[in-house]
Amino acid sequence: MWKEHYRIGSELIDSQHQELFDRVGSFIRAVQEDGAWEERLEQVQATLEFMKEYVVIHFRDEEALQKEIGYPGLEKHAAVHDAFRAEIRAFAQRVEQEGFDEEKVQEFAARVMTWLIMHVGKEDQRIGAFIRSQGGQQ
Amino acid sequence: MKVEYINPFYKATIDVFRIMLNLDVKRGALRAVEELEPVSEANVVIGVTGDLRGSLLYSFPKEMALEMVTIMAGMAMNKLDAFVSSALGEVANIISGNAVTHLASSGLTCQISPPQVFVGRKGSLSMSTEKAVVVPLITDIGTLEVTVSLHRSMG
Repeated sequence: MWKEHYRIGSELIDSQHQELFDRVGSFIRAVQEDGAWEERLEQVQATLEFMKEYVVIHFRDEEALQKEIGYPGLEKHAAVHDAFRAEIRAFAQRVEQEGFDEEKVQEFAARVMTWLIMHVGKEDQRIGAFIRSQGGQQ
Repeated sequence: MKVEYINPFYKATIDVFRIMLNLDVKRGALRAVEELEPVSEANVVIGVTGDLRGSLLYSFPKEMALEMVTIMAGMAMNKLDAFVSSALGEVANIISGNAVTHLASSGLTCQISPPQVFVGRKGSLSMSTEKAVVVPLITDIGTLEVTVSLHRSMG
């Protein structure tokens, strides 16, 4: 899922983005593979648990970078992060209470996939453009 | 219906397809229709309210829908299941959201409703008698047809 052109020019953030795409990729495989749902569930649960924690770390680091470089869109970008973090938390809470329904998890995986592609492919690229306009690599 | 309501959807699709799918989009010939009618297997309906009111229908041929999600997921998709349907709903939602942003910059403030996805050609969805315009959006993996039925709100 990861594409080289997603790089924004920060080693830390680029490697975190790669990790996120890798994890979302394995999440999708676990969700979409053939075989009994019960057998795939363990992987689904483990990835969801990882994602819940990893987005917190990644968003924090990315916002710290934006602050450090004086990125003008920080506030708006942080609000987008907050909304997505809340969405993941709400989903995790829902499946803990109601159980891991296959269709619900499929819908959620699609949401996470499209969100990640658009966010990194569009919004984060503005940070990359800003870094380049300031004269280069972090 | 005014043609200037169409362009934002074309522009938004070009942008979103380039970012999400790395695909170029060309516009086919527009045609006027009387009803909101699904032309292909995978369909997404989104309602619009605000300065403009009406509906949008995104109609994807099955093979195109599967290929789109295959490109995004990096994994072969072979059926229009909940994962593929939701991904299409999200793509249509993102295109509509971007189009609404374009409309806002020409002074038309609109809101969109959450996407409703359905599979199959179910006949007409239209409740109004207002005319609609079909915009064929041609790509290397197939043609998406967006039916735009938008009209200026009264009052």
